[in-house]
Amino acid sequence: MLQIYIALIIIAFFLGRTFWQKKNNKISRNEAIFWISFWILAAVFMFLIKRIDAFVAGLGFSATGIDVLSYFSIAIIFYLIFKIIVRMEKIEKNVTEIIRKISLKDYK
Amino acid sequence: MNNKDIFCIVPAYKEEKNISRVVEELSDLDYSVVVVVDGGGDKTFEFALETKRKLKNSNIYILQHLINRGQGAALQTGNDFALKKGAKFVVHFDADGQFLSSEIIKILKPILDDKCDIVFGSRFLEIKSNMPFFKEFFIMPIGRIVNKIFLGVNLSDPQNGFRAMNALALEKIKISQDGSAHCSEILGKTIQNNLRYSEIAVTVIYNDFGQGLLSGKGRGKGGLKIIRDLILGKIIN
Repeated sequence: MLQIYIALIIIAFFLGRTFWQKKNNKISRNEAIFWISFWILAAVFMFLIKRIDAFVAGLGFSATGIDVLSYFSIAIIFYLIFKIIVRMEKIEKNVTEIIRKISLKDYK
Repeated sequence: MNNKDIFCIVPAYKEEKNISRVVEELSDLDYSVVVVVDGGGDKTFEFALETKRKLKNSNIYILQHLINRGQGAALQTGNDFALKKGAKFVVHFDADGQFLSSEIIKILKPILDDKCDIVFGSRFLEIKSNMPFFKEFFIMPIGRIVNKIFLGVNLSDPQNGFRAMNALALEKIKISQDGSAHCSEILGKTIQNNLRYSEIAVTVIYNDFGQGLLSGKGRGKGGLKIIRDLILGKIIN
């Protein structure tokens, strides 16, 4: 039970920080909504950890609920990194287009 | 046909030592010369401009990418420019002096004879180049396999930058790969557009070992980067 309390304290800290950043206009409204939803979801998972354990065991996995959540998080992180790389490539191509237009206009 | 109808596109990245000589050689043969200085922060642009002024040749054009975008990007800038100027034939020619300007007419011949739309130079046909061992027996075989997988085509020299094309190929082939993956991309678009192509033996003089598996000169160089760019290109496009 102790680890759940520790996790909830950590989540509360990050939630508080997100509210503070929004209040000081350090993050946009959409970013604030995303991170608040993320941390609330994390807190909900903490409360439901026993049920997730039972659910995972019911599916026939030997891992505990927290392990499954970790695997799931890593998969999401890989997906997000992939999305960022693709987005960066598109930005690079746009930069090239701008540079090309300038060079075609200003030739000697 | 006038030699001025032949536009030599010369992408140049950190080539202040060679650019003047290469431009002079091409100008002496009366070709139109399009130098695309691809960033780099050295004196390549200034030296190219100085050579143009010295030769008093109005068919030398100097373009500049304000920041380095890669050889593929520089070639497409040159292609766009040549198209705007009404080029009938285009030759891609490296700025480091590793190709022979005397071989331009040879690589163009199948196009001038209307047998091909695009001709690729090869270091593996009858002329022997002094290619470094690692490149010849490791990088090149990997390049051929990659081209076979991605494009389903076998060329003896998939990474050769010496190539010639007519206006039709110039219009059909738009290079979107900014780095060195443009070689495979050009080949792929040749096949996609049903363009007629062939290979011609060319000489390549190696001044230094330009491209390794991980390393290379300029943006998008290095064997692994080429494979990564090809995969990303497939996803983005």
